[in-house]
Amino acid sequence: MQTESRMMTSTTTRPSLPRPSRRALGLTALAAPALMTLGGCGGRAGGGDGALRIVDYYNTPADDVAINGALEASASELGLAFTRERVPGDQLVAKVLQMGSSRTMPDLLMLDNPNVQQVAASGALAPLEQYGIGVEDFTPAVADLGMYEGTLYGVAPTVNTIALFYDVAALEDAGLTPPTTWEELREAAAALTTPERYGLAFSAIASYEGTWQFLPFMWSNGGDETELDGAGVLGASRLWWDLVRDGSASRSVVNWGQGDAMDQFKAGNAAMVVNGPWNIAGLREDTPDLTWDVVTIPVPEPGGTSVAPLGGEVWTIPVTGDEDRQADAAALLKGFLSPDNQLAMAAERSTIPGDAEAAAQFAAENPDLSTFVEQVSTARSRTAQLGPDWPRTAKAIYTANQRVLVDDTDPAEAFDEAARTVD
Amino acid sequence: MSTLTAPVVRRHRRRTGTAWLHTVVGILLVAVMLFPVYWMVNASLAPAGNSLNTGWLPLDPDFSGYSRALADQGQNLLTSLIVAIGACLLSLVIAAPCAYALAQFRIRGTAVLLFVVLTSQMIPGIVIANALYTVYTPLGMINSIPGLILADASQGIPFAILIMRAYLETFPTTIVEAARIDGCGHLRAFWSVVLPVSRNSLITAGIFSFLFAWSDFLMALTLTTGETIRPVTLGLYTYIGTNDTDWSAVMSTAVLSSLPAVILMVIAQKYVAAGATGGAVK
Amino acid sequence: MTAQRIDRRRSRRRDLMVRYAFVLPAALYMLAFFGYPIVKNLVMSFQAYDFSTFFNGRAPFVGFENYAATLSDPIFVRALTNTGLFTIGSIVGQFVLGLGLALYFRRRFPLSGLLRSLLLLPWLLPMIVSAAVWRWILEQDNGALNRFLEGIGLISDPIPWLNSSDTALVAVIIVNIWLGIPFNVVLLYSGLQAIPEEIYEAGALDGATGARSFAHLTLPLLRPVVSVVLLLGVIYTIKVLDLIIGLTGGGPANATQTLATRSYEMSFVEFDFGQGAALSNILIVIALAFSIVYLRANARAAKNG
Repeated sequence: MQTESRMMTSTTTRPSLPRPSRRALGLTALAAPALMTLGGCGGRAGGGDGALRIVDYYNTPADDVAINGALEASASELGLAFTRERVPGDQLVAKVLQMGSSRTMPDLLMLDNPNVQQVAASGALAPLEQYGIGVEDFTPAVADLGMYEGTLYGVAPTVNTIALFYDVAALEDAGLTPPTTWEELREAAAALTTPERYGLAFSAIASYEGTWQFLPFMWSNGGDETELDGAGVLGASRLWWDLVRDGSASRSVVNWGQGDAMDQFKAGNAAMVVNGPWNIAGLREDTPDLTWDVVTIPVPEPGGTSVAPLGGEVWTIPVTGDEDRQADAAALLKGFLSPDNQLAMAAERSTIPGDAEAAAQFAAENPDLSTFVEQVSTARSRTAQLGPDWPRTAKAIYTANQRVLVDDTDPAEAFDEAARTVD
Repeated sequence: MSTLTAPVVRRHRRRTGTAWLHTVVGILLVAVMLFPVYWMVNASLAPAGNSLNTGWLPLDPDFSGYSRALADQGQNLLTSLIVAIGACLLSLVIAAPCAYALAQFRIRGTAVLLFVVLTSQMIPGIVIANALYTVYTPLGMINSIPGLILADASQGIPFAILIMRAYLETFPTTIVEAARIDGCGHLRAFWSVVLPVSRNSLITAGIFSFLFAWSDFLMALTLTTGETIRPVTLGLYTYIGTNDTDWSAVMSTAVLSSLPAVILMVIAQKYVAAGATGGAVK
Repeated sequence: MTAQRIDRRRSRRRDLMVRYAFVLPAALYMLAFFGYPIVKNLVMSFQAYDFSTFFNGRAPFVGFENYAATLSDPIFVRALTNTGLFTIGSIVGQFVLGLGLALYFRRRFPLSGLLRSLLLLPWLLPMIVSAAVWRWILEQDNGALNRFLEGIGLISDPIPWLNSSDTALVAVIIVNIWLGIPFNVVLLYSGLQAIPEEIYEAGALDGATGARSFAHLTLPLLRPVVSVVLLLGVIYTIKVLDLIIGLTGGGPANATQTLATRSYEMSFVEFDFGQGAALSNILIVIALAFSIVYLRANARAAKNG
């Protein structure tokens, strides 16, 4: 146990010591993760003495490799070492709370963007301005993701959103063009519904995912999360209600996550699905015979703006009390967030770079994702208005939609109740 | 002589005939019960990992899920086995004497201990996991196999105490008394007389302690950081991302991880023999 | 004379110490691993414990406010009823089917050992896998169960198992019964095996066979095992969380919310850990009350029977 940590600190240097050759650094940077996996010693909850601790939820190989690559690129240039703890997605917040209460916060923490405000409000995160990290060149909505009360606490290198996938062959057979308005959506979904297939699939599950899927319809209709009983919100809920009652969308949407809805589309059980760009690699691999395309989410009236929610993970620096480590982590983060890294990660993970120029370049190089770049340009952050109070409203929204779609409650009544619970 | 053998032979043939009939019915019953497990195997072989439109039989099997699972999960399976067996043994070692004492000895405080054990079963696992995390971290027991064994035994020990106590309540004390009269101390009597005779309950309690530890997710998630040791319940999450899930790899891992456990169960159940106490009293 | 008395007293004390030594490791373990959590959970239920408390340690004492809020929560009554229905339905199903299978497997026939081990598979599978598989099976549109029921002509319209507030609780109970049968089978089988053959032979001589031997011989001798199986069964079922979250997340529209899922939701979705702790303590009290009543009734029956 002792020898391993000594090995690591001797081959990877701290910024204050003279730097060995870049090649040696590269080799040791490759070796370090391998060495760390060999150790079985109980000891600290993390790597050796000098290595920075990173916690994130990129546990699947597809994401893991991309993120690790970008972190490596930045770390090797700075001569830093790091270890990563990958937590299953829905357990991250619980882990953060555990680490917070036992004062074992990592040096670099990734958070899903709706949670940033709460964590920042607890005082657990360090403001990033002091480390020279800024978001001036970012798409404005993306820059907002890591802000709390005007201070920057986190940055999202890449973002994503949702749009409307459709089966090209199915639409052609039915003689339809991709829908752009709600009326067209309703008609197309009804026309595409056959005994073997539903016209549209989406997720209205009783979790934040259900709210996420609802937001583009709500916002494009002028609905606002601060006014849940407003006409904009009710109209959007009524659209969902109509789609299910028409039989164009399965009643099972109340139990489907986004992954389930996409599985339905891939299996040919739905002709259209509201989903995100992370599916593109899977669509290419698993269902190469399915010809698909994407359009932005239909709007209530022709010519309106399609406003979808911004998704993506934000990287933050927790306050650990160790100024040197925080500075190191900030340096690592800064390198990690470079536009080059953003482009690399975005290409591998099918997400959109946060830097505005990089995003434009990305759209040009990846026509498959151009619809998503377009959708991101008008997208909105979920916590922009409510900050740490967003989760409460999110819960009220999905609870109301569940009542509408399961018990056939009138949206006005359901959202009236929702508005009362968040007051 | 001949008049005696004829009816014996006839009875024997009828017995084997009905025995095989029982096997067939047994297989049917188990098949109905295990349909979801069959569906899991079906899904593990489905192309695109999507079992939504698969037929009843996996006619076009795709083994890529298995190749991924085998490549990634070997070490994790071993970790799970070590932790589960360790937790099982620890549970039995701690719980068996306690269960015996609670069932047979008349000492003060047994009611209180029993009450505490019973109450411990009512506490949500996450409360225990969180508390253990705060204790383990300063002690440096995160990411350690002994730490996990101790933590996983937290479900096995109270359970084993309660189960074995129930079985030991009807333990024929006459044989113990006989041994004690012969000069055996409590411990000796327990080791050489009680344990062998109550083998059934030991194995049963052991099986469940093993299963509790084997299928534990919460302790593994809370008390490891995933870099060094990873039980397979946690290793499964390599395929479960926030947005999409590689179902065929998940199902394949589940199938593969069931195999060593099932083999252990078969071996253990062989020892749950009929009438273990019968004959000892005589 | 006195030397003998001293010796006897010393050996009696040593005997007592040896007997205490049997329970000491267990008692220490219970104290170490459960003492702190129980106390912490209790204290938390009287505090305003929210997200930031984890970081700044501020958890002001609020007395019984959390309990009052929990009891006046509009979903509380629904969760309570659901918990009752879920528990009763699961236990009855698991126990009856488990006992039936255990009795069936008491016969000796080829492959019985292997089949009995295979019955443990539902318990071996990770919960996330079981939940996913059952969600596919219970899928309204083309899940295996509806396909089967329609195929044999039992139903004409697919049943919205997990999508309707009427059937969701039933669906969840069915899956929990499936999950609980192995537990019951193994324990009851082991208990049945402990009953010596001679008892049945003696009973048969007295004319007690079949149902009579079951009622008068098997059941009374099985009583301690039955009582612990039912008691633990109820305690575990009241606590069930992962299964419901995996199948329905407590939905649709709160149709499958139980006290356990609600407690989890309070803590990890609404981040009101004080209320979550209060609710889990209410759960513990209910389980304790049941245990005390049950154990007393059982002791009385054992005395009379």
